[in-house]
Amino acid sequence: MGRVAVIGAGMTKFVRRAEETPGELTAQAVEMALADAGMTIDDIDAVCLGTAPDAFDGIHMNGENLIAGAGGSSKPYLRHFVGGGTGVFSPIHGWMHVASGKFRTCLVVAEEKMSPCVPHPAGAFLTIFDHTTEQPLELTLIHIFALEMARFMHTYGYTEEEIAQVSVNHKHNALGHPAAQLAEEITVADVMNSTLLSWPVKRYDISPTSDGAAAIVLSTEDVARARGMTPVWIEGVGFRLDTAYWTTRDLAFPEYVAMAARDAYDMAGITRPEAEIDVWEPYDPFDYKALHHMNGLLQDRTGRLVKRLLAEGALARDGSHPMCPSGGALGVGNPIAATGLMKIAELYFQLSGQAGERQVRKDVHRGIAQAWGDLMQVGTVVIMGGEGSSPTRDGVWSSTTRDDLPGTAIKQVGDVPHLAFEPRLTYLWDDGMALTTYLDGFEHGKIRASYCPGCDRMLIPSRSFCELCNLRSVDRYFDLPDTGVIETFTISHVDWASAPLPDGEVRMYAVVAIDGAGDHMGLVHLLGEVDPGDVEIGMRVKAVWKPEEEREGAVTDLLYFRPVADGEDEGEIVPIKPVELTRATAGATGGKIPLAYAYTAGIGGKRFYADLAGGRLSATECPECRQALVPPSGFCELCLRTLDPDSAAVDIGPEGVVAAATLVFEDRYGHELDDPVWVVQVEFADAVGSLFGKVHAEPGTVVAAGTPVVLEKTDQVGPEHVRFALR
Amino acid sequence: MGVSVMGVGFTGAVPTSDGLSYRELITRAARMAYQDAGIEPEDLDGAVSVEEDFVSGYSIADEYVPDQLGVVRKPVYTISGDFLHGFGSAVMQIATGSFDVLVVEAYSKASNLLEKDELLHFAFDPIFDRLGVTPHYLASLEMQRYLDPSDYDLLDVAEVVRRNREQAIANPAAPYGTSLTVTDVLDGRPVATPLTDLMFARHADGAVCIVLGSDEAAAHFSDRPVPVLGTGWGSADSVVQRRDLEGSVGTAVAARRALEEAGIEEPAVQCDVFYLSDLYAHRQLMHMDAMGFGDEMLPVINPDGGALGGGDLFEATGGARLVDAVRQIRGEAGAHQVGEVGTAFVHGWRGLPTDSCAVAVLGSERR
Repeated sequence: MGRVAVIGAGMTKFVRRAEETPGELTAQAVEMALADAGMTIDDIDAVCLGTAPDAFDGIHMNGENLIAGAGGSSKPYLRHFVGGGTGVFSPIHGWMHVASGKFRTCLVVAEEKMSPCVPHPAGAFLTIFDHTTEQPLELTLIHIFALEMARFMHTYGYTEEEIAQVSVNHKHNALGHPAAQLAEEITVADVMNSTLLSWPVKRYDISPTSDGAAAIVLSTEDVARARGMTPVWIEGVGFRLDTAYWTTRDLAFPEYVAMAARDAYDMAGITRPEAEIDVWEPYDPFDYKALHHMNGLLQDRTGRLVKRLLAEGALARDGSHPMCPSGGALGVGNPIAATGLMKIAELYFQLSGQAGERQVRKDVHRGIAQAWGDLMQVGTVVIMGGEGSSPTRDGVWSSTTRDDLPGTAIKQVGDVPHLAFEPRLTYLWDDGMALTTYLDGFEHGKIRASYCPGCDRMLIPSRSFCELCNLRSVDRYFDLPDTGVIETFTISHVDWASAPLPDGEVRMYAVVAIDGAGDHMGLVHLLGEVDPGDVEIGMRVKAVWKPEEEREGAVTDLLYFRPVADGEDEGEIVPIKPVELTRATAGATGGKIPLAYAYTAGIGGKRFYADLAGGRLSATECPECRQALVPPSGFCELCLRTLDPDSAAVDIGPEGVVAAATLVFEDRYGHELDDPVWVVQVEFADAVGSLFGKVHAEPGTVVAAGTPVVLEKTDQVGPEHVRFALR
Repeated sequence: MGVSVMGVGFTGAVPTSDGLSYRELITRAARMAYQDAGIEPEDLDGAVSVEEDFVSGYSIADEYVPDQLGVVRKPVYTISGDFLHGFGSAVMQIATGSFDVLVVEAYSKASNLLEKDELLHFAFDPIFDRLGVTPHYLASLEMQRYLDPSDYDLLDVAEVVRRNREQAIANPAAPYGTSLTVTDVLDGRPVATPLTDLMFARHADGAVCIVLGSDEAAAHFSDRPVPVLGTGWGSADSVVQRRDLEGSVGTAVAARRALEEAGIEEPAVQCDVFYLSDLYAHRQLMHMDAMGFGDEMLPVINPDGGALGGGDLFEATGGARLVDAVRQIRGEAGAHQVGEVGTAFVHGWRGLPTDSCAVAVLGSERR
């Protein structure tokens, strides 16, 4: 297996809202990375791209939409993802492309545009939960972070103030990062006094939502040496994905991160990471997460080492174990997949001595970057090495400032041309064998489990296979007591879309280990009939059910858990016959994707819709390939260079000729239209490309290839409003 | 490093699969593949799932992969694409030498998604392509742009439908086998003229798992390993307005690489069976053209009925073809066995609005 080198990096600014479309952001990062590597897109053999959930960008099959901006046109192109772990998985996937011997060069791209999701991108996280057993509880990511943070603090004895120091450090470090969105000097008191969102999580404990893109270029050793590069190598990789049944394991220690790191250490030949790693870039979407992940990276289940390093100030940039010298997600920002790749870029800068004012004091030979995600279940780890960062050198990156990076920050979507969209995605999910019995339990006021004799666990929610025992069939079912113990909890002041709850109202979520089910085997649900100040880990609780006549076989039949009263009877474990599936009993649960979007028209779209309002059409001429691109574009996907659709505008319309026409009989949902509508592809003289739109035509008119048409003027923004008239 | 298919599992496709959750559907395919490969889940070094967000009603689809495959806490990631894209990625992963045995998985619970056109519409570019009408408009425009300069016409498109659906009759895993005439297809319900509802694949439920291993691992575990001779993938411009709709660049890029790796210079002669994506019937012809076959009809295409006969299984669609190719090579395809198969060419397409394609060439032995 040949060595794989990192030979260039690029990134946009990280901003709360970018005017650029996802594709435009991606193209900007790619243009920089290619320039940094001294390459053109023709030198790239393959492209791989990471972007986390499509729910942010608001484009199903988002990876396909990003091909042009990522430089993947007419090339081998793959999109990969592992949720929040995607950014650091991206170079791992790129490494596979080169280390396998299949490709000599691979362009690795990561992008996230979170801002289109409205009213707040945090709402998108509701859709990452299990649609049948968890989404009805209206959870979001802040809630599970808070649940994990509370458990972490409980297990390792951290105070909120101690954890806050991480946020202080990272936002300080970010002051030297050109892409930084939230770099600032703050104090622990600032963190403690920031808005309480979901105890123990406060505003300043959290990284922001962001838009941004990053890219790196990987190559074989031959290619790197031939270009006279200071080599920076990918020396080890690891990635592990834990169970999606996140309430059935201890949340305090990220075993999956430790395992991924161990894989990477083995590959890199590292036996004492605490001594052999010079720079650490753990994922830090929340301040406690950096410490949580450091425990995993250091293989330290006791957590003592990291706690000591934090207390001694050793995790500061000039300390013995510099952590997130970039400023991390907390300081630079968190366009999720792009953040992980930003961390990889930081190792590249640090190892090649071109981190400028962020360069750590020690000579850097090895660095580690890590990302994390999904339902607190994935760890992705990359170890990079070089020949030493001393002496430092004046590369492009050592003096790059925020003004040098592409990306256009806007305050509000309404400040630029934009369009709204609300997908109507509705489902009826088959419950199947095990969940039909589980949900039938709720209808009967019972918490029900299936039992695996292989690992002696009661499985909640019940399943028909055991995920830990080679998919052993699980056929025995039991009703469990509806009592249990709080493993961890949060007191939330925000709803699933991050909007504040009405004054004084809180929602308390807890992971409750159910009696009789075994260690850490529980479920997440609400708490009630208890003062928030009285809730504590270890408290015994009992389910409160809806009145029998109101139950419908859903997890919301259980209203909440309340403290167990003194002398209250403990329930029993009772074997039961599972529900026999028939057409009458096989269950299905309904639901929908409750998200909406506000898309900026982007650099190209802004020009197009401005022209349309004036009854004109322009193309954008690429100075390199001399092609006039229609619709107007912020980049040329053939040359991978960014374009200014205003200064490079060529007037080409509004008159064109139909290239193909179709009479459409169905609406976007697949239902029959009352009146069929003509849709056409129209081409324009002296331009590469076309437009799609509808045609205003009297019933009975036939539109066909060759029909001359003219683009109709409108000040409405959006493809639904693009119409042509017959000439 | 050589990589082989060690075992395959396919639940078969059905219009609805109520009574099985998606996890249970996948577990069924996984158990079939593991038994066929001669392994237990603990023998796996990881998994590659092929899935997109929202198809099944959740985001970050990779979360819901490890449990039902029995690969908790192992290296697992998700590829967006057709099954063949994930297959190619897994082959590449094993070729690094750091992984030995992997399972590739994809599934469809299409019956649980109540308005599938809206999901496809949601995949179109929001700034320029979501016209508020059925997304099949793009297939119709593409079909016309393709047919106009080609040697084919609508009758040839209808003939693809007729043939594939008839071939599916002999395939017990295909739900839509039937006898149609070319006229039936042309006279189908118009969706976006001249595209009728019979010219594209109906959705179905099903799960596919394929176990891959290094040749050494395959020899150790498996009774009937099938060597992977070559893989490739490719995409055209995602800006549809500027894409050449008269051909499939993605297929050309993918096929060139896979055939080169397989050492095949004359695929029409050297391959015994071809699986070419037919999610839309005209695409089967486009994909043939992109491989340079001109108007020559290849001897055996989609003997299992393709997607037109076997159903659109979302990301699992190409997986059903791969499973059939493995069974053809092993001589286990039953009533639709096409004779002795030494080499199979399998192609997958991601579907609208893409031209993202992937190819795998499988053989009865390594050459």
